[in-house]
Amino acid sequence: MRPAGPLRSIARASGRQSSTWRLKKVLLSLIVLGGLSSFTLTSAFALLNGESRNIGSSISSGTLTFTNRVNLGSLCYSYSGPSSSGNANTACDALFSSATQMYPGTPATSRVTIANDGSLDAQDLSVYMPSCTAAATPTAPSPGGADPCAVAGAQFYIQETDSSFTATSCKYPAAAGSCTFAANTLFFFKSSANSAPTAFDLGSGPAHGQSRYFVIGMQLPTNASNALQGEEALFGLTWRVTT
Amino acid sequence: MTRLKKLLVALTPMGAAAYVAGGGTFSSVADLVEWARHPTRHAPAPAAPSESAALWRTKKALLLMMAIGAAAYFGLGGTFASFSAETSNLGSGISSGTLTMSNQVNTGTACLSMNGATQDNIAGCGAALTVSNIAPGMFGPAQSAKITIENTGSIDASKLYLYAPSVNAKLSAALTSGVAVTTLTVTPLEGPVAISDQIVVSFGGHSQTFTASAAAVGGATSISVSGSPLANFSYPLSSNVNDTSSNTSVNNTDCYDVKTQSPGTPGATQGSQLNFNPTTGNPFCSAVLMYVQETTGGTYYCWSGKGSSPQAANGLCVAPVSVTLTTGLTSGVAPTTLQVSALNGNVTSGNQITVTSGTNTQTFTASADAHIGDTSIAVSGAPAANFSYPSSSPVVNTSALTSLNSDTTDTISTFDTLHPVGGRIQLVPVQSNGVLNTNATVQLSHFNTGNFTRTFYVGLYLPVPAGSNQNALQGLASTFGLTWHIDQ
Repeated sequence: MRPAGPLRSIARASGRQSSTWRLKKVLLSLIVLGGLSSFTLTSAFALLNGESRNIGSSISSGTLTFTNRVNLGSLCYSYSGPSSSGNANTACDALFSSATQMYPGTPATSRVTIANDGSLDAQDLSVYMPSCTAAATPTAPSPGGADPCAVAGAQFYIQETDSSFTATSCKYPAAAGSCTFAANTLFFFKSSANSAPTAFDLGSGPAHGQSRYFVIGMQLPTNASNALQGEEALFGLTWRVTT
Repeated sequence: MTRLKKLLVALTPMGAAAYVAGGGTFSSVADLVEWARHPTRHAPAPAAPSESAALWRTKKALLLMMAIGAAAYFGLGGTFASFSAETSNLGSGISSGTLTMSNQVNTGTACLSMNGATQDNIAGCGAALTVSNIAPGMFGPAQSAKITIENTGSIDASKLYLYAPSVNAKLSAALTSGVAVTTLTVTPLEGPVAISDQIVVSFGGHSQTFTASAAAVGGATSISVSGSPLANFSYPLSSNVNDTSSNTSVNNTDCYDVKTQSPGTPGATQGSQLNFNPTTGNPFCSAVLMYVQETTGGTYYCWSGKGSSPQAANGLCVAPVSVTLTTGLTSGVAPTTLQVSALNGNVTSGNQITVTSGTNTQTFTASADAHIGDTSIAVSGAPAANFSYPSSSPVVNTSALTSLNSDTTDTISTFDTLHPVGGRIQLVPVQSNGVLNTNATVQLSHFNTGNFTRTFYVGLYLPVPAGSNQNALQGLASTFGLTWHIDQ
């Protein structure tokens, strides 16, 4: 490539073989390339542009939490409790106490309030009994040796009520209106509903901000065997809500 | 003529110089006049005889030049051109066109790039979507939005791009030129900043790059910078602040998670009260699915989301549907079409469409595609309705939900990391459903011509993966942005 006029005179002065001359040739080439691209390759350099940004879009999830209250006890939260892990609190109040000793045909009941304090409606409420084990009543001098969790053992029901704990429907064993005790119900319940997948379905709700009310009934059968004397059933109920 | 006049004018200073330099030759104007009338009688100032005559002649010549020059300057315009011809191309001008765009979310006010506070044709527009209190598997009307991009300028845009903005904010405290900068005070950061990230502050044609000296979480309002560099310009409030090191992993995307600070419904629990929903790694951004569906001119292309890769033959993203019947069904009568409120998602032929009323439910099979905005779904198989479903009964596309529930790739986080500015999606014009016109030289025509408006739908969905609960996603909020860009 021959340099242009002015550059040619510079070349004469400095010598075409000099490194300066070679550098000048390179620089001149770059100038030519830059000039050409500036005029021809407009789209590559996007000389004009515009832009808009939809900033601050947001999506947030709601919460599905609830409280569990036994009789007039304190609220037990599904979340943030001392034993809470993953929105499951295993430290809520017991429904019954061993200190309240039962006699055949004499029922004991506890009221349970399940209140949805989350922002999402619960599509489903269920309950299950993870375990039921027999033990000697702590103060009994001579346990009878039978298992109240077994066939012919304790009887059990789940009564749904209104907020004043007036019966509305018997959930377990299913019946309209008020529940009645039936044989082997504790055994059947713990046998069939002992995990989350097998939980007993209590239907939909409560919706957020709403509550559902239950009465849990226990009784030794009126014809209980003496072998059930001095025996206790240790069990828990786990309440579960899902969206 | 003009050249001659210039020459003559140039002689004037020479004459003047002679007059001055010849100090003492004329003592007054009267002397000059007298000399002009009787040059030979004028007694020159004493001088050496040999010098005097030469100087005298020279001065006369120079004075003559001065007179001619002055005359030429003041009065001889046109005197030297008896004939002349002339043409003038007056009023030539060159003006640039404009390349501007508008961005309209649903039926809101169009946001104009030219109105950007940063005077750089970049506008911070409103949020595309604001969705709250969602649960897995839920899809409501607020979870999709229509975005209309329009070229409002006079120049065609050869390129239209969509990409995830970098972690960004605006200056909430101005910088002063020449003053050392140790901290950038900003609006809540959209995304986190890591130590050593490159932070670019820009306004108009000015920009300056800083280096973060400490990490800042998403939502933070300040960024510490190292080295106390002097500001190279007085950057005003609202100047752009961008972390150009961002969008490389789920940890530093423009999308970021926080725990909700207010309940989804009054009095309910909120994310900040929960201890099982950590925000580390932006899990909500990494779970929420996003799609971008183009519908310009009734042709469809899925730019992002399930259905985009590989591109669905019908150009439809898998987009959930959550609508209601507008015409009830009659028990025992087989419908051929479900009349519904405007679809907020897509239906592909063969999809299962479920209608519900209370405990009654029935599933129909779509016999043709139906698109966002359509108001009917053709169904086949002619099953008689098993119940008289009233109008307003919910209608969902269960096939779409099933498909999305197992999708873990089309998340907001994935979009951000795959499509930062360096991996931006070039929105080539759509030729037919699912097919691009790759030969098109214009991607957004200038105002009022061709395809100067293009329409997109953006949707979000939180899936329900099988076999695991998603309690860890309770009470979280993801914040993110989308950038639409045109080039000349």
